[in-house]
Amino acid sequence: MRVPTIEFTDERLANGLRLIIAEDHLAPVAAVNLWYAVGSKHEVAGKTGFAHLFEHVMFQGSAHVSKAEHMSLIQAAGGTMNGTTWLERTNYYETMPAHQLELALWLEADRMGTLLEALSQENLDNQREVVKNEKRWSYDNRPYGSWVERLLAGIFPPEHPYHHPTIGSMEDLDAASLEDVRAFFRMHYAPNNVVLSVVGDVDPEQVRGWVEHYFGGIPANPDLPVVLGDLTLAPTLGGERRETVTDQVPLPRIYWGFRAPVFGDERLDALDLAGHILAGGKGSRLHRRLVREERLAQDVSFFSLGLIAGASIAAGWATARPGVDLERLESVYWEELQRIATELPSADELDRAKALTQADELGALQRVEERADRLSMFATLFDDPGLVNRMLPRYLAVTAEQIRDVCAAVFRLDNRFVLTYLPAEQGAGDAETAA
Amino acid sequence: MSGSSGMSGDRPIVVADRPSPGRPRPYVFPPFRRTRLDNGLSVLSVHLPGRLLVEASLIIVGGASDEAPERAGATVLMARALTEGTEHYSAIELVEATERLGASLHAEAGWDAVSVSADVPVEHLAATLDLMAEVIARPTFPAGEVERLRDERLNDLLQARADPRRRAEEAFIETIYASESPYRRPAGGIRETVELLDASPARAELARRFDPARMTLVVGGDLTGLDVDALAEARFGGWRADPAALPPATADASAATSERRIRIIHRPGAVQTEIRVGHPGLPRRIPDFHAVAVMSAILGGLFNSRLNRKLREEKGYTYGASAGFDLRRAAGPFAARAAVNTEVTVPALLDMMTELEAIRSASVDESELRAARDYLVGVFPLRFETPGAVVGALTGLVAQDLPDDELARYRPSIEAVTADDALAAAQAHVRPDEAAIVLVGDADAFLAALESAGLGPVTVDREAAISMEALDVAAD
Repeated sequence: MRVPTIEFTDERLANGLRLIIAEDHLAPVAAVNLWYAVGSKHEVAGKTGFAHLFEHVMFQGSAHVSKAEHMSLIQAAGGTMNGTTWLERTNYYETMPAHQLELALWLEADRMGTLLEALSQENLDNQREVVKNEKRWSYDNRPYGSWVERLLAGIFPPEHPYHHPTIGSMEDLDAASLEDVRAFFRMHYAPNNVVLSVVGDVDPEQVRGWVEHYFGGIPANPDLPVVLGDLTLAPTLGGERRETVTDQVPLPRIYWGFRAPVFGDERLDALDLAGHILAGGKGSRLHRRLVREERLAQDVSFFSLGLIAGASIAAGWATARPGVDLERLESVYWEELQRIATELPSADELDRAKALTQADELGALQRVEERADRLSMFATLFDDPGLVNRMLPRYLAVTAEQIRDVCAAVFRLDNRFVLTYLPAEQGAGDAETAA
Repeated sequence: MSGSSGMSGDRPIVVADRPSPGRPRPYVFPPFRRTRLDNGLSVLSVHLPGRLLVEASLIIVGGASDEAPERAGATVLMARALTEGTEHYSAIELVEATERLGASLHAEAGWDAVSVSADVPVEHLAATLDLMAEVIARPTFPAGEVERLRDERLNDLLQARADPRRRAEEAFIETIYASESPYRRPAGGIRETVELLDASPARAELARRFDPARMTLVVGGDLTGLDVDALAEARFGGWRADPAALPPATADASAATSERRIRIIHRPGAVQTEIRVGHPGLPRRIPDFHAVAVMSAILGGLFNSRLNRKLREEKGYTYGASAGFDLRRAAGPFAARAAVNTEVTVPALLDMMTELEAIRSASVDESELRAARDYLVGVFPLRFETPGAVVGALTGLVAQDLPDDELARYRPSIEAVTADDALAAAQAHVRPDEAAIVLVGDADAFLAALESAGLGPVTVDREAAISMEALDVAAD
């Protein structure tokens, strides 16, 4: 199979803004993607959820753009856009018809340079309510909705910045002030804290000219980068942790969490392939045994979340079928984790996992939006955008021994966090949900 | 272009003037080739240079809306069971063979069609088509596996009861459609019908659709050096219609009533209320399709649609409010949707009703009209960046019996929509006076205010109340 190499250029403006350009003329489309090196891990106690609330404020206007006009202009130009906040970073992106690229660059520069000129208490209060409704919708009013928060709290100690989720707490959101917004903007939203990737049907010389024109006058912040101190963690939890939650869920579910090697460590590549072998589809080990053969589970999952500071997360779950013995479900799931930690996967299993990884990679990189996001990601996290081309060869080079060894290091009794959701007391007429 | 740039002390210098667009690149929806095998099976192929992960989809027109009401869910169950075993492969052998090709193979049924699709690196297209032919023509429907899939669906229905979003969707369609309509139930069926299913109705649902004249193979990607027609002929050319095959039926999409009414699904302690407002909407094949698209973008499709602007950006009641038509072979639902914090349930609902009235009582502004048309026209090429998206659009044409030039005509037809067209579409198809209002939330928190708002008669389902109060956490 041929996976095309992504050719790109990588340069900096005088103010520190890092610009990555990759041409691709297959479709008349251009992607703009900015990664700001600020995420929820930069939040301090009492200010959780702030990076994400701030991301919302970024759509409330700037010196030359009115409230929510960013979206109107992008959509009227035939483009799509969004922003997301994660533990490590905040990203903003637009995918445009190629002839509308300049508009997206102008909009991003205007808010990077002049956001505070349009900031108002009214807009902050409005977006605070929107974000609180986002929290209710995504977490609080959703079955099993608290699992991410509980998993982070179970894997990372309270003093570690991955301990709390990006959405934050209602109390902290209520406490966020205009002064907090101003201080956050002045510290983090500067050109020397950004990677800007432009991918698609573009003329690189023209892009350079536009980027210099629109972003070149925004001054660097000399206080950057923010250094977070020593975030290293012991490689394991140092003892099993368990939590049981009674919630309004019809079926019990068991979540698993483990500390795992950091993102960028080649051992995590092997763990990603282990995830394919364990739960990558209907032929995977956990699905085959728990869903198909023993019929203990309604669905299964296993994956890793790569993080750069201290530890990544390896996690999974199994939803119990009604009436199933939960101890049995837990012990069979654990047996499969132990089996991959002690026995080598077969050559065929490994080949299939690699073939799927390769097709996934080919599929994902078809889209200019995804290519731009990965270039920004690898440049921000590793100062190495070329990883966009080197991850697949790394996956294809993983051996059966490396998979067994990383699984043995991660799937340990003293490194497991087991989170069990149990159905709350059932009302009459719903007796079939009893576990 | 005016404005200035350059470093100057600490003050950011930005460019005040908005750039104007460059010259639009020419765009046409990728031209495709249509042929027909002697047995009636159609083949659509579309060459997309440089797209090495190709998409292949074999669709059979006629989906879950065809089935008898007492067997609701049988078509979806049949489609899921296609990959559970065939004459030459067990389920596990099939998935392993697929994975060795780097392919992912899915079989599914919606309201309007059954399809088997795969994306695969182009060099393995032929081998993947072999597997697609195997699952469609030679499935064995092993009893134990079909029963497992049925039980998984029953468990999924249990899960849906606890999820406010899914509960709202289910209660909404059950409220708006008449009891004769298949659209009153989810395509996957409800407990009462799914419980009765096994391999036999699944087999029957395939047999009644197994007619090559109802089937179309769509292939998209870099097809350099490939003869798709010959590949199709070799695998599908020998198929003959099953004696049990019937033409697709037309679903009954009648409304339960044309009276406005309110139904609350009570969830004590819920922090949000899921709101649905609407009625049976429209089929896909309508003369004013493009006017409906523009009107619903303005009402509830764009980020700055009237509903989202009011409920999110002005009031902060919700993370997002939207409205739209689910266009099927028969009239799928029209719904306005939002999840709002419990305390503002009634004011949010009143705002939604106001917007549903406003869109049909006065012409849209010229600026709104332009924004919606420009978005729909401009975003069109972005929607078709990958083979999966192009093939999906073509299978949509086939499933809805639309003409081959439908996609090529889309942009000029949207450009031609006027404010009068949008108003006429709203007046004909948005009918708040006939709407059902479904609320999933804490009735005790808003029932009194709702009743005094006088929107219509209210019923409350206090079903199997489960306490949502403080979570009981035990750590050890």
